[in-house]
Amino acid sequence: MYLASFLDARDICIEQRVLSKQQVYQMLVDRICAHHQLPSCGTKLLELILQREEEAPVAYASGIAIPHIRMEGFEDTVVAMAFLQNPIDYEGTKISWIVLIITDKTSSKTYLNIVAALLKLSKDSEAMANLAAAHDGHSVVHRLKEMAVMVKKDLFISDIMIVDPVSIQPGATLKELNTLMSQYGIAGLPVVDQNLNYLGEVNILDLLKVGIPDYLMMLDNLNFLMSFEPLEKLFENENEIKVSEIMSRDEIYLRPEASIIEAVFEMILHKKRYMSVVKEGKLVGLVTAMDVLRKVITA
Amino acid sequence: MIHMLIALAIFGITYLMIMTEWINKMTAALLGGFLVIVFHIVEQEKAFMAVDWNVIFLLIGMMMVMAVLKETGIFQYTAIKTAKLAKASPLRIMLFMFAVTAIISAFLDNVTTVMILVPIALLIAGELKIDPIPFIITMAIASNIGGTATMIGDPPNILIGSATDYTFMDFIYHLTPIVALITISSLGITYLLYRKGIRVSNENKARLMEYREENLIKNRKLLHRSLIVVFLMLSAFMLQDRLNLEIAPIAMVSGLILLILNNRKRVDKVLVNDIDWATIFFFIGLFMIVESLIETGFIGLISDQIIRLSGSNIKAASLIILWFSGFFSAIIDNVPFVTTMIPLIKDIGTHFSREAMHPVWWALSLGACLGGNGTLIGASANIVSVGIAHRNGYVIKFSDFTKIGVIYTLNSLILSSLYIWIRYF
Repeated sequence: MYLASFLDARDICIEQRVLSKQQVYQMLVDRICAHHQLPSCGTKLLELILQREEEAPVAYASGIAIPHIRMEGFEDTVVAMAFLQNPIDYEGTKISWIVLIITDKTSSKTYLNIVAALLKLSKDSEAMANLAAAHDGHSVVHRLKEMAVMVKKDLFISDIMIVDPVSIQPGATLKELNTLMSQYGIAGLPVVDQNLNYLGEVNILDLLKVGIPDYLMMLDNLNFLMSFEPLEKLFENENEIKVSEIMSRDEIYLRPEASIIEAVFEMILHKKRYMSVVKEGKLVGLVTAMDVLRKVITA
Repeated sequence: MIHMLIALAIFGITYLMIMTEWINKMTAALLGGFLVIVFHIVEQEKAFMAVDWNVIFLLIGMMMVMAVLKETGIFQYTAIKTAKLAKASPLRIMLFMFAVTAIISAFLDNVTTVMILVPIALLIAGELKIDPIPFIITMAIASNIGGTATMIGDPPNILIGSATDYTFMDFIYHLTPIVALITISSLGITYLLYRKGIRVSNENKARLMEYREENLIKNRKLLHRSLIVVFLMLSAFMLQDRLNLEIAPIAMVSGLILLILNNRKRVDKVLVNDIDWATIFFFIGLFMIVESLIETGFIGLISDQIIRLSGSNIKAASLIILWFSGFFSAIIDNVPFVTTMIPLIKDIGTHFSREAMHPVWWALSLGACLGGNGTLIGASANIVSVGIAHRNGYVIKFSDFTKIGVIYTLNSLILSSLYIWIRYF
């Protein structure tokens, strides 16, 4: 689908005045409400947008802000946009392109794909210069059509994954692993060789298990131990033990073109809260269950 | 004749596989069992009939009982309580643990016993900062000795009990006295071997004394109920004669009642984790293979030879079987050995009175069970204990185990010989 097909020239404005964020939103809301039947409109819609923005930031480093509302019983997707010649400051990010998207509660796929297309576009300076030179809505739609900006129909893991995730090499010590985990606040990470070939994974439980002798794991419970000095071994040996000794070499990973449902299926099946994304043997990303929740389910 | 040769070939190759573990034990036995059917040495119906279901269901029943009993925490509780009663003195702990292991093992499968107790020994040795290897070796040995005492303690006894008309009480009457004697003398050996050289600081002792082992009993009600069922089961075992029952139905009913008492919803878990299906199928395969040796007349042939050679001297035959079994089960798994010996001794028994055969059967049991201590690979309990030690960074080499094991085995077999000599002749 063309991005242009989602657009209505009347919902696009080119703004030269110096305006506040609220004023721009108000203007976009007014335009949409003028010719779309929405379950709620006017001030109420504006409040919803601002409220939503509190929950999840909308500004991106490439200079685009994408406020978004999902409305119950609104079975459509409406996209309104404003090109600002005087950028607005979003907590430190200069925003010169604001795109308001209103979708139905259920159609997160379309929304995510529109966002993906917009983000890609916002990073393309040539295309942006071309759009900014437009003098009205019709001209924007026309230019987008000419540029053949597409919105994908399907959503892949590569669309929601973390690109170039933190990873570790098998030769690293547990101390280095420990540092990486606490520094990035992550409970598991992929293990790769120097050429980023995927080898397996190591998680925080693998690390902690080093501190528990195997014989303790054979007991039914440890509630009778009052003062066992825990994890001594871990701290004693963290400079000697290598990641390769504790990592798991399982081959459970996703391809970048895997669907969201496949990722969720694999996560549930293997009780994993994150999966490495591997393309032709090389690690290209990482997708977490939280990504699925944030970027797909509650997006 | 050709049938007998094929049967022997299958039997021999299966034995070799079991000994070397080139392929999984259970797979080897079951494959052999079905090959005798495929080669039409034994017809399927006959081969299936050869499976001793009393043994199979006794094993399953006892596994269920133990699964529930283990969950109550009673065994770990007992082990830690024992260590505390020994006032954390290492030598005393070793002696007490030896006795407790032997007693628990009289009622529990030896492997299960060491899987429960060896981790506790490692924990205690770790707390006391002493070498756990002597504990592990002596506990494995104790489990093999204790297992000999009752009909349900060790698979050879289960097999013998089921194949003969001996009751649970007969085993207690004939075996428990000598096993008690062997246990006591083994405690003496343990004392002599390890009396020197283990020192422990008071601080490390204090850590052990502060264990709250009562926390291990999570569900008192379940424990009490389980113990009542186990008590009733043991009573029924002892009254086997009056009840006119084989031992398997008693074990199965007890096991099933315990499963119901425990938690109905967790039955699946017990079936998957606690019933050792590999062992069950191992037995089934062996029964079928051995049937092929009976069918083709090989067993009869050998028994005739033995009678001819021993000149019907039961005394000599008993002692030969005792030492032969002891030697054999030190180098191979005693289950296939006893499964093969049973039809042989039965065949010999047809020429003698029941009373005359007593010493032969008890010699087989004592030799097969106690011989397991002869080497590291003589009994599954040894292999499992050493395996647990290995995973915790303590390497026990074949020679380390064997030089200790041989002392206990010789002591056991000499005492057994004297016992058989004095009591039965």
